[in-house]
Amino acid sequence: MENRVEYWVKIPIGPIHPALEEPEKFIITLDGERIVNVDVKLGYNLRGLEWVGMRRNYIQILYLAERICGICSFSHNHTYARAVEEMAGIEVPERAEYIRAIIGELERIHSHLLNLGVAGHAIGYDTVLHLSWLARERVMDVLEAIGGNRVNYSINTIGGVRRDIGEKHKRMILDMIKYYREEVMPKIEEIFLYDPTVEARLRDAGVIPKRIAIEYSAQGPTARGSGVEKDVRYNEHLGVYPDLGIKPITPKEFTGIIKGDVFDRMVVRVGELWQSMELIERALDQMPEGKIKAFPKDNVALVRLKKAEGEGIGRYEAPRGELVHYVMANPGSEIPERWKMREPTFPNLFAVARALVGEQLADVPVAIASIDPCLSCTDRVAVIDSKTGKKKILTEKDLLKASIEKTREINPNIKAKPEPIGGTCGGVRL
Amino acid sequence: MKILYVTVGLIAIYLYVSFASLLWEGLDRKLVARMQRRMGPPILQPFYDFLKLVSKESIIPRDANKFFEIAPILALAASIALLAYTPLGFEPILATKGDVIVFIYLLTLIAFVRVIGAVSSGSPYAQIGAQREIIMLASREVPMMLGLFTILWRLSKLGVEKPFSVGTFYQYNIWEIGTPLTIVGTFVLLMVFLLWLASEIEVGYFNIPEAETEVAEGPMAEYSGRHLALFKLSSALKEFASASLVVAIFFPWGVSGYLGLSGVGAVILDLVFHTLKAFAVLFVSMSIFRAITGRLRITQAVSMFWSRILPMSLIGVVLLVIDVLGVIA
Repeated sequence: MENRVEYWVKIPIGPIHPALEEPEKFIITLDGERIVNVDVKLGYNLRGLEWVGMRRNYIQILYLAERICGICSFSHNHTYARAVEEMAGIEVPERAEYIRAIIGELERIHSHLLNLGVAGHAIGYDTVLHLSWLARERVMDVLEAIGGNRVNYSINTIGGVRRDIGEKHKRMILDMIKYYREEVMPKIEEIFLYDPTVEARLRDAGVIPKRIAIEYSAQGPTARGSGVEKDVRYNEHLGVYPDLGIKPITPKEFTGIIKGDVFDRMVVRVGELWQSMELIERALDQMPEGKIKAFPKDNVALVRLKKAEGEGIGRYEAPRGELVHYVMANPGSEIPERWKMREPTFPNLFAVARALVGEQLADVPVAIASIDPCLSCTDRVAVIDSKTGKKKILTEKDLLKASIEKTREINPNIKAKPEPIGGTCGGVRL
Repeated sequence: MKILYVTVGLIAIYLYVSFASLLWEGLDRKLVARMQRRMGPPILQPFYDFLKLVSKESIIPRDANKFFEIAPILALAASIALLAYTPLGFEPILATKGDVIVFIYLLTLIAFVRVIGAVSSGSPYAQIGAQREIIMLASREVPMMLGLFTILWRLSKLGVEKPFSVGTFYQYNIWEIGTPLTIVGTFVLLMVFLLWLASEIEVGYFNIPEAETEVAEGPMAEYSGRHLALFKLSSALKEFASASLVVAIFFPWGVSGYLGLSGVGAVILDLVFHTLKAFAVLFVSMSIFRAITGRLRITQAVSMFWSRILPMSLIGVVLLVIDVLGVIA
């Protein structure tokens, strides 16, 4: 046939859709049930947090950072604290580092249990959702007992932690680990490693090959599921993690093969649940006695930070992948000059959008759920013309131009002449 | 006089089955909730939902055509007509020579009307849901019809007047034949029918056309208000009617005979007993199935029908055929 008619349909998944937890938009071009193209649109959840942050002092930003995300609230405030500590050269007491590790791993357990449930819901297996969220309640109770809140536990402060882990908490955590080891984990493994429905749906769905994972700089379980051994806690010798014997989890240890599909990402999460429990136990054993924060009062910390100069970068392996916070000091002021973060969902989202091409429509919800997207973390910038109210999309070229202008504005002494036209940037020819 | 009797009977049955099927929806939601360790909604929730939907405004999409509004009414009309041919512990009201075939036609017609309504709504989600519905329809009917007609053929060997009528099941019982081959064959066909029932009411593996997280309720995506209420009622009726067919084929026993009742009392008692049996079948095929499985991809579901369920049905058929023709034994 010469004139083959293509019955392509464009379907919007989002901004509001039952498969998505947060507003984001995927414009999916379909040929029948097969996906031909995926276009990602972001910016429905912009709250202008960086702008708000530029009007808060260092201590206040801690609590703002916590509210960036509803799940990894500890990760954001931990990473921000690390960035500020690096900027001001503050030494954190060792006990505080251990407490940070324990809370971080507790948070990982609750985040991964949540995501396992969401993946179950995405394939219509609601029993998995309800039972895994029921199991999650236990770790939420422990977090509430330690921090006073189920989600925003406000553990970190600049130069340490705000709350100690006492004997009572220790007993509670060990009880919880026992409950998970004996009652929850066997069931989770049964479902995510051996259940025929789960295997039929998750195997070979949304495959991100290792090459794509590296090219798109996928993070966290998404990268590890594709066989990239990438874990900031391990690669960067973060805090006390090397003493706890951390190593990146890949699906190879469980199933023997790495395919980079949704199944593998879930297997990584199951493995990390086991690992987190081990890490918590070791941390509780090795935890030394001593101070939990470097400064007795917050105002002492603020005085010290007022004198700080330069910039700091904090990195941490959040449950979804590597989280980076950047803080630039404004000497003489308690308000930072710049506060910027990069979330793991941003690279993961484009990696999974690439992976969906050629798959079926039925795989879209579960593939999106498998990277555990956190859009409230991701949305940073929306460029809107204030006169017409229209949204504008900036290309790489525009961004490069804008950043050269900004650099000139900050430091007019720079003599070098970058050439945006004709060069390459990140492998893309401009 | 007969017309009056039939009309009154049909209305009574319609009211009773509406009540029973909506009650089952509530029971199902409660039972599944308990299996998932949650409280679940009140048992009467489907009634509240129905009344609320009826009283709400129905939004018609701009791109919809006339069929969008007609389809719910046609679907409900088809399901009420279906009730006239549904075995409910006694022979259907409009029992004729070939009412089994009419039953299957009407059952399929409901799905077709849903598809027409979905296609007319102009929504891409509904479009995809309709495609999936048609694909499922084409796959699920074959093993079921093969099994159904084989059982009817086996029963006709016992000497019935109307071999293609539902009444056959109340004259003779497939288990009564009693030879080992029929029992095994019927058991295999029972499995086929339970899977068919699950796919007919679209739960568990087969919740593909209405996949909530994929295509936002598929064919029902654009329906709201009283149009949605009519569809909900018609699918509840269809659920009950499909389960009734399975009950009539495999578990046709009544209790009135043992208690020595006759007349209206016997009819009511049989109807109640039949309802309980239908609930039991739906419990296996709907509640448990829905709690322990997730949704398949459409390709996987179709290949399951053609490469698993159809051979299963063939095995049952071959066993029954061998029994009749006496090749072995």
